[in-house]
Amino acid sequence: MANTGSVSSEQTHRRPVRWYILVFLAPATLIYTIFAIYPIIESLRLSLYEAGDGGGVFVGLANYARLFGEPLWADQFWNAFKNNIVLFLMHMLIQNPIALALAALLSVPTLKGAATYRTIFFLPTLLSVVVVGFIWQLILSPLWGVSPAFMNWLGIGSFFKPWLGLESSALITVTLISIWQYVGIPLMLFYAALLNVPEETIEAARIDGLNGWWIFWKVKLPLILPTLGLVGILTYIGNFTASFDLIYTLQGGLAGPDYSTDVMGTFLFRTFFGFQAQLGDVYMGATVASALFFIILIGVGLYLFGVQRRLQRYDS
Amino acid sequence: MLVKQRISSVGIHAVLIAYSVLALFPLALIVLNSFKTRKAIFRDPTGLPLGESFSAKGYDSVLSNSDFPLYFGNSLTVTVVSLVLILLLGAMASHALSEYRFPGDTFLGLYLVLGIMVPIRLGTVALLELIVSMGLANTLTALILVYTAQGLPIAIFIFTEFLRSVSKEIKDSARIDGLSEYRIFFEVVIPLVRPVIATVAVFSMIPIWNDLWFPLILSPGEESRTVTLGVQQFIGQYTVNWGAVLASLSVAILPVLVMYVIFSKQLIRGITAGAVKG
Amino acid sequence: MATLELKGIKKSFGSTDVIHDMNLDVNDGELIVFVGPSGCGKSTMLRMIAGLETLSAGQISIGGKRVDHLPPTDRGIAMVFQSYALYPHKDVRGNLGFALKHAKVPQKEIDERVNKASEILGLSDLMKRKPRELSGGQRQRVAIGRAIVREPDVFLFDEPLSNLDAALRVHMRVELLKLHQRLRNTMVYVTHDQVEAMTLADRIVVFREGRVEQVGTPLELYRQPMNTFVAGFIGSPAMNFLMARVEDGTVKLADTPVCKTSANNGSVKLGIRPEHLALSDDGPFDGKVSVFEHLGGESFLHLTLNDNQTMVAKLDGERSFAPGDQCRLGVRQEYCHVFDESENRVVE
Repeated sequence: MANTGSVSSEQTHRRPVRWYILVFLAPATLIYTIFAIYPIIESLRLSLYEAGDGGGVFVGLANYARLFGEPLWADQFWNAFKNNIVLFLMHMLIQNPIALALAALLSVPTLKGAATYRTIFFLPTLLSVVVVGFIWQLILSPLWGVSPAFMNWLGIGSFFKPWLGLESSALITVTLISIWQYVGIPLMLFYAALLNVPEETIEAARIDGLNGWWIFWKVKLPLILPTLGLVGILTYIGNFTASFDLIYTLQGGLAGPDYSTDVMGTFLFRTFFGFQAQLGDVYMGATVASALFFIILIGVGLYLFGVQRRLQRYDS
Repeated sequence: MLVKQRISSVGIHAVLIAYSVLALFPLALIVLNSFKTRKAIFRDPTGLPLGESFSAKGYDSVLSNSDFPLYFGNSLTVTVVSLVLILLLGAMASHALSEYRFPGDTFLGLYLVLGIMVPIRLGTVALLELIVSMGLANTLTALILVYTAQGLPIAIFIFTEFLRSVSKEIKDSARIDGLSEYRIFFEVVIPLVRPVIATVAVFSMIPIWNDLWFPLILSPGEESRTVTLGVQQFIGQYTVNWGAVLASLSVAILPVLVMYVIFSKQLIRGITAGAVKG
Repeated sequence: MATLELKGIKKSFGSTDVIHDMNLDVNDGELIVFVGPSGCGKSTMLRMIAGLETLSAGQISIGGKRVDHLPPTDRGIAMVFQSYALYPHKDVRGNLGFALKHAKVPQKEIDERVNKASEILGLSDLMKRKPRELSGGQRQRVAIGRAIVREPDVFLFDEPLSNLDAALRVHMRVELLKLHQRLRNTMVYVTHDQVEAMTLADRIVVFREGRVEQVGTPLELYRQPMNTFVAGFIGSPAMNFLMARVEDGTVKLADTPVCKTSANNGSVKLGIRPEHLALSDDGPFDGKVSVFEHLGGESFLHLTLNDNQTMVAKLDGERSFAPGDQCRLGVRQEYCHVFDESENRVVE
């Protein structure tokens, strides 16, 4: 509002250009566009090219045809995809119910020490996957013997196996470690949502004769359905991208044993950079990333147009 | 009735304590053993570091004989600078989005939070090319820029939701008091968003401090290595020196732990006020 | 001290017009109240005077000087908001002195003005408190104090009492009135509460859907509402409206004559305030009592007339009725308001 000069008597004053809006928005928009959005779009573009003399050669959808057509690629892709789905389902069926149960217990109004429990439950989430991976590697290692000793103490010592090293159990073990680490995030979201349920609604239910368990089941749960939906989609996205860190740390880039813990993240990493005998390929890397982009897009689309819309009908 | 209530309360505590043990045991194991001699680590992994089993040698070798302090400094720089940028630029953008009406405001609001749903890692291939062409490979600047871009969407989402729930009248009042739009932001809006800053800070900080992907790809060089990447490589190199490995892990845990303890009180209040409401 | 002139003011958001051609002259020292249901444009008009909203057309002058091109702070106004809008991180003294400090007024003068305002409003003991440590009434006082400190030409109030509970609202209303008598500043006050409007205003402006329905003193609006909207909005309980017919200068309900009028033959709306109805054995309003509310000193009688129209009468606390009782009410000629088919007053 710099213009304080006089205006002609009959004219209505026009608002000056509001430069400050630009100043507030430009830095965030620029950094975000250059380092987040542009690379994703550029990756989508690169997936349509192939290495040629002095740069990329446009090949249309040939890379995708390779990815899904050539057994060498398709086998790896579908194996990683299948493992991701297993990972996702196990998080949905184990992590989120545990988180919901713990959040429900924490939100009991008369509970003492809720803040302390909350802090403890969130601790593993704070840790680097490198730390978490190594801790569990040590604990599960037959060499160090913490778990065999513990299981002997319980009288089930004979059941001990080097789970991370076995093809049949490696993926499940990795998933359980991931659940141990990340249960804090859905826990916090559920807890906050449960705290937001109005006290009067619960009192009304109590007057209607519902007891604690039914109040949770019939009153609180429907009210926090939008949060359940949100946790679901965050689990879906996280499982396709964040799972890389833990698996790379625990099982290495080859996601062993014999690719049994390979997920889209490790597959993308190997494709892009190469690993041991395999050579890295920028264009195929971009293709795998783009395929992953579409997989996530489908999930987010289903969530936004299906799940979330239906859930919101329960609102207020 | 009262007896029944007491039993259920005992039951709840039993479940919560059991899970607390599960959450804490692995951590305690690392920290305890990091203070032990190599012999004691193997002979009695669950024993306390007392008497002759006590040894701080691991910390000694980590802090003096390795590049660990350098990595630690790198991580601290990257995390703190990214966090400041995310909080400041995110709050600025959110203020503009919640306060002013302008053409395309709804679109820009959606565009800026798109990154919550589309992970920035999907652009890694092109991002590496971009960083290399800017001459930023193996620099902390590259990590800071990428983490800022990665953290902005969730920060903008939480700040905007919160600011929309705050009365607009206080900003109008400041306008009448003669503050410029910039001073309104710094003197009125910043104090107003204080309660959610903790939430945004924790949610932005954890993935930055702990990230392995971008340090591995964008700045794996010796000079720009972060703690997470450093520890990962360190574990590979010195599996023999267990004391050092465990000490390095304990040291890597420390900063997030301190930050969390500082912010944890405000964390839930912030989630309640900002994120879940939306 | 200043006058306020609004000339040809229009405001539209996109294609929606929220103010259609507003003209008003406010005299020096006058307390003018904008009243109307929510969404009628009264707050938008106030915000345009404050400079928080731009004009689509028209001019605003304060003290004869054109101000609509000036930023809020240069217009010589101060504003009190519904949510008080106190700075949560500053104490009472900080809040009161903030604008002056920003305007680089010398510290000594700031202290004088802040102390004076805090004395007027009885805030002297609270100067070190933060807003969250104050009650609703105290916060409201700080908000008013912050306006006083600026020594503005025109005070603007945007529903300042809406967040207070009923008892406190009555109390603050009286304090505001005293404040106006003491300061004698020009004040513009926005409210949706007609009681507030009636008790505070020198003149009331009634808004509806972005248009001014009537401007006048509280008594003018009460005695001569220009249309059914103003008639129904001003006064509590609200005016009764009955469908009636005019035959040769007489308003008739069914076939019973009620009062004289200058209206032409045809349908009219007859408006009668509840407090102007009285029990009368030969009155024109004959029906059955449906509900009888006794408030102690007064009572409300809800009557269903023989042609099924309903009306409410405000009676003294002496008589008592039961639902189903037969009852007859009457009204004096000068208390009958006749409105034509376009809802406008028929001037007698």
